Amino acid sequence: MEGLVIKVNRSENGTDFGITVSNLDFAYAKDPVLKGVDFHLDKGAVGLLGPNGSGKTTLLRCLLGQVPLKSGQVSVLGWDMANRARIARTGLGWMPETGGIIPDMSGVAVVAYMGELSGMPARDAMQRAHEVLHYVGLGDERYRPCDKYSQGMKQRLKLAQALVHDPEWVFLDEPTSGLDPRGRISILELIKDLAKNKGLGVILSTHLLADVESVCQEILVLRDGVLMTQQHVDAGAREPRQVFEVEGFGNDEAFLAGLNALGAEVTRDKRLMLVTLDLTTVSGAATDSGFDTGAGVKAILGVATNTDYALRRLRRRPVTLAEEFYRMVEA
Amino acid sequence: MPVYDRGYTHWEPTGGRAYPAWWVIAKRGIAEPLKKRWLLVLTLAAWIPAIIKAVMIYFKLQAGDIAELLVGNYASIDAAGFLSFMEVQRFFVFVLLAIVGAGLISTDRRDNGLSLYFSRPLGLASYIGGKAAIIMFFYAMVTLFPVYGLCLYAYNIAPDASGLELLFLIPLRATVYWLISGASISLVLLAFSSLGKRSVFVMVWWTIMVMGTETIGTIGKSLLQNDAFEALNFLGNYHNAAAGLFSSGPRLDVSPWVSLVVLLAWTFAAVLVLRKQIRPVEVVS
Repeated sequence: MEGLVIKVNRSENGTDFGITVSNLDFAYAKDPVLKGVDFHLDKGAVGLLGPNGSGKTTLLRCLLGQVPLKSGQVSVLGWDMANRARIARTGLGWMPETGGIIPDMSGVAVVAYMGELSGMPARDAMQRAHEVLHYVGLGDERYRPCDKYSQGMKQRLKLAQALVHDPEWVFLDEPTSGLDPRGRISILELIKDLAKNKGLGVILSTHLLADVESVCQEILVLRDGVLMTQQHVDAGAREPRQVFEVEGFGNDEAFLAGLNALGAEVTRDKRLMLVTLDLTTVSGAATDSGFDTGAGVKAILGVATNTDYALRRLRRRPVTLAEEFYRMVEA
Repeated sequence: MPVYDRGYTHWEPTGGRAYPAWWVIAKRGIAEPLKKRWLLVLTLAAWIPAIIKAVMIYFKLQAGDIAELLVGNYASIDAAGFLSFMEVQRFFVFVLLAIVGAGLISTDRRDNGLSLYFSRPLGLASYIGGKAAIIMFFYAMVTLFPVYGLCLYAYNIAPDASGLELLFLIPLRATVYWLISGASISLVLLAFSSLGKRSVFVMVWWTIMVMGTETIGTIGKSLLQNDAFEALNFLGNYHNAAAGLFSSGPRLDVSPWVSLVVLLAWTFAAVLVLRKQIRPVEVVS
């Protein structure tokens, strides 16, 4: 019955499956690593971004209760991690960046062992080990000694051991580190599936912004231990100032005059025009959740129609996560 | 539906029994070495002295006092005789525990395994308890279990054997001795294992601890005529401290109480080292 107990009692009050961090400070010896970190996460896919040494892994360790918390509060699944970390960890999975395998054991033995250590009955743990190894694509290799695995297989094995006890949240530290492009895409597909289709919370700590963009809905950005921002991954699309790429032919002067009348700033790069438009001045662009870039497109299209300007290209210039990230960490 | 077609499914507990983490660690830690045939052979070889003692017991029963002159108290079936037997076993204790115990924590440190263990719902006591149980099992394999076997054998072949003594009191004394000495030896060996990331260095330290201290004790006593050097003898101190328990005379030329204090100090130091070294996070300065 204990297996049943650890599965049912994962959240302290049965409803709180989120993560709340309040005013968290943490230091190794006297070196401060995290400074006044505050955020709340509901279950979902969250990217944890930051330059090297910004405190990403330490933050994950605080969320796991692996380090003593002296200042601030961390609550995971409703449990206070300062004194109830062991209970909370029944609902957490952890995939470390380095190491994290147990040599001399087969893949299936490692995963089942980790399941048993999470409080699963031995039979359940072994059955789940087979299931999750098939899920991560190691079904045919599961009886091989895991220290003979390739880097990609080791990453998959680490993901499997993080999933064996069916956690509410999985914390992934650089899961695509050392993988070839194909392996990277494959791991990202698994993570995306877990977050979007299987209802697991995922925190993905990585240097690779493209990984976060392809998987996560939300990002946390750390710099020097300070949380710079917590925002939606495409928050840039909701900003009032948007840049549109316009290319066409016709009466350039009339078209530019029309754009100026809209209050747009225009810069040219050969035939391409970059039109920066403040959507607060465009009627119908403001919505409850931000600004509708479609209204900006319609406004530019209207100017082109009125000035007989034939458009070959008109689109909002995508603001990449990389641009957002560098803007934040270099600010 | 076959497993490979299911994709990711949520775990539905079947209601089976889950065991405590220390038991899971111990179970796996005992089973894995026993899969190695040469280690199994070595463990069985550690029973050779027990077989020799069994033959001597038989020989003594047949030949009487003449045999006593030849084999001494090694063939004795009183409590002191069994302490002597466990003393003889110290070579196997040294070798087997070095092989089994050296990598128990050092390997986890080397492969970042501590981070995995402590991402599970277990604490430091469960982790150390599980690892110590592995060492204690193999320690029992070469000391306690042969004593049980010999007691049973002696009771069956000796016509004037006391059932109370051979079937209860001596096994009880041996069990108490195994529990206390085993816990202490396990903690010291685990402390050495936690200090490094390579098993070979742990083995070197363990060799110095066992063979080195015995050699220094013997040489110090002989050359400097100072019995206090014998208190350095690590494994010897366990037998010496247990002299009272087995109604035997001191095994070293220092008081059993001195040996006890020395061993308590070693055990305390080992606990401090383990508390400092076993952390899920490696702090790199």
